[in-house]
Amino acid sequence: MLVSGPAWADAARDDAYRKELIGQATQARLSEQRYWHLLLHYRQDLTGGYTSEADDPGFFLAPNGKTDPQAELEAAIAKFFSDELVGRSRQPTQCAFVARYHWLKSQLRIDDRRLPPQRCERFQSWFEEMNAQSITVIFASAFMNNPSSMFGHTFLRVDRKGQTEQTRLLDYTIHYAAEVTTESQIAFVVLGVFGGFKGYFSALPYYIKVQEYRDLENRDIWEYRLNLSEGQITRLLMHAWELGHAYFDYFFFKENCSYHILSLLEVADPRLHLTDQFVAWTIPADTVRVITEQPDLVTDIAYRPSRSTQIRRKRELLSHHEDRLFLRLIETPAVAEREPFASLLPDRQAFVLDLASDYLLHRLATDPEPSAATRDRQHSLLVTRSRLATASPETTIAPFTQRPELGHQTSRVGLGSGWRQDEFFEELSVRAGYHDLLDPGIGYTPGAQIEVMSFSLRHYNRRDQTRLERFKLVDIVSLSPMDSLFKPPSWKISAGYDTVNRPDCRYCGNLNVNGGAGAVTETRWLRHEMYFAFAELDANYSHAFDENHRVGGGGTVGLLADLTERWKILLSGTYLGYPLGERSDEVRASVQQRYTLMKDLALRLEFNHRRRDNEAMLSVQLYF
Amino acid sequence: MTRKLVLLQVAVALVCFSAPMALAAMNTDTGPGCGVGKVIWADYRHQKNILPQSLMATTNGMFSNTIGITFGISGCTNDGKFMAEQKATMFAEINFENLSQEMAQGQGEHLASLATLLGVPAEHHAEFFAMTQERYTSLIQSGETTPVAMLKALNAAIAGHPVLAQFSTNR
Repeated sequence: MLVSGPAWADAARDDAYRKELIGQATQARLSEQRYWHLLLHYRQDLTGGYTSEADDPGFFLAPNGKTDPQAELEAAIAKFFSDELVGRSRQPTQCAFVARYHWLKSQLRIDDRRLPPQRCERFQSWFEEMNAQSITVIFASAFMNNPSSMFGHTFLRVDRKGQTEQTRLLDYTIHYAAEVTTESQIAFVVLGVFGGFKGYFSALPYYIKVQEYRDLENRDIWEYRLNLSEGQITRLLMHAWELGHAYFDYFFFKENCSYHILSLLEVADPRLHLTDQFVAWTIPADTVRVITEQPDLVTDIAYRPSRSTQIRRKRELLSHHEDRLFLRLIETPAVAEREPFASLLPDRQAFVLDLASDYLLHRLATDPEPSAATRDRQHSLLVTRSRLATASPETTIAPFTQRPELGHQTSRVGLGSGWRQDEFFEELSVRAGYHDLLDPGIGYTPGAQIEVMSFSLRHYNRRDQTRLERFKLVDIVSLSPMDSLFKPPSWKISAGYDTVNRPDCRYCGNLNVNGGAGAVTETRWLRHEMYFAFAELDANYSHAFDENHRVGGGGTVGLLADLTERWKILLSGTYLGYPLGERSDEVRASVQQRYTLMKDLALRLEFNHRRRDNEAMLSVQLYF
Repeated sequence: MTRKLVLLQVAVALVCFSAPMALAAMNTDTGPGCGVGKVIWADYRHQKNILPQSLMATTNGMFSNTIGITFGISGCTNDGKFMAEQKATMFAEINFENLSQEMAQGQGEHLASLATLLGVPAEHHAEFFAMTQERYTSLIQSGETTPVAMLKALNAAIAGHPVLAQFSTNR
């Protein structure tokens, strides 16, 4: 029989068992184990010591826990005996750090009689509410009109038990994002790059995320169901609970949403080594690639088309006659009550009405101030639709581009050789990321170019001169085709350094900034053609120019076309006039083409003309 | 100077900031209500306005019970306690436009999810769908119908339905 003695006797017993456990843990060198490092997010630093990526002091139980895995482990064991409330969530240690407790409990075979488990009601009710059956990685594709979403976004969905595919919206998500604390754009960028924001985890219902990405931002969503065991899912959720109360300093480039999602998966299954593969930056599509490359990890992949994709795809299925009716219907719902609409077959009526209401939903979701008239039209359409009393015809919506992990890798190196004006050259180019208009389009948003940090070194043979030919800090182009329904803006912006060639200054460096707005249309005659026109501003700083600069504007027109599955061509012509600095003007023309050899290997042949400066180059490009 | 600015722009370009959403709630914890309704809609403001401002007020009140699921709200003690009814109300508020469309079509995932929240099991969703389509004009009388009014009408319709009445919470 257990008799509870005086408090000092309890304390003495606890103290003895605490020492015993710490002794065991030290002997087993638990603080050196990978799992302890995963739970505390320790990374080995250059000196061989450990530092945790977590930045919230409340995440650690020892004062020096951020850098001392052993001290942190001892502190955890000691505090398991206490019901003192710890961390930002103010729970007893066993509950606040439930994953640490359960791991140490199993490693040390902790005796429940000597260290009684605490009832963690908050955690339990949260865990039951999650009611997890499986975990799905969600990828929301790139959204060009918001710089922070240009590379896509990933988060986890906790699939509830007993749901059907129809009720996935009710699942919860685990999502990591920065808490933006400033209204200033510049502060936003500086803080974002250098870890000035705190990143937090949250668990919102999936329907909120679907609405945000699919309906408001019109981003296609890909869902990757993971093959995790019940024990692995429990560990993942326990760790998510610990993280839910702590923050990490947010770094745009590396420690971003996708990075932390990977770290959660490692806690679920420590045999996975995912975060190790990202050293300098973490691009969401690359993390999806790494996840799908793990053997037997991904079981199912589902596609959730954005609303604009649905509308565009459904519209392709309309006859010419139906399309005319559709365009009238979205202006005047009463068209549905009369001939010739009334003589369509009921399921065609349903299809056209559904499409019309999809379009008005899109307007209601995206117009800055949706008008009452739009709302009324939608209501009339839906009343008509309900009276049809028929089901909507089954329609399969195909994406406009394939899954992100099927695309080329995001870094690129190229080796080329060419001729400029009167001499041969060889060129080596390296690009950190991510995709340009001519790169193989599979897995990338069509017409979206984002190039960051690319360098080209050239050796000119006759002059025997090696120089930095080009440096692109950033070069972004967003070609969004317009049609009779959608009128999205297209735009471009670039900044970098290039080499101009003038009679009085052969190969002179030039700093350049260019930006423009334009319009794009597309056809699908051969495969896919995009025609673009931009009005632009162009500023240059170089010793080659009088007064060292020229600033002006002009326009570009061009064509981007897939000629075959592997062969793509980009034609463009530009006129720029410079009223400021060196008064001058320039006509440019270029013909560039790419031929895909393999997924990560391509050939390029390009010809560029500027005033008294012609160049041609053949290069081979490897994606890695 | 221009180059500097552009450098900063590049940085913005890298990576998923995505929605700070509910996150801000953690630090602006103001006790009851936890400010989440405000936070969620405040975030949408930066994108494109989706729902009338008035919804901010409604969600703000409602989230007090549901936000618990978001971790780390020190003022909210209920990390996972939900009222089924409030879940349905929140769902209807946020997805009202999609729900209206799917009710008229007599099918859809928002509608199936709402049926689940109202306690209708999956094997009876078909009857529920048919009912919403058939009684569309009485459930949503005009563009003015509020989500709460729609839910009330829907609950009444379930209670009066020969098959669905057994799942009604209106008893």
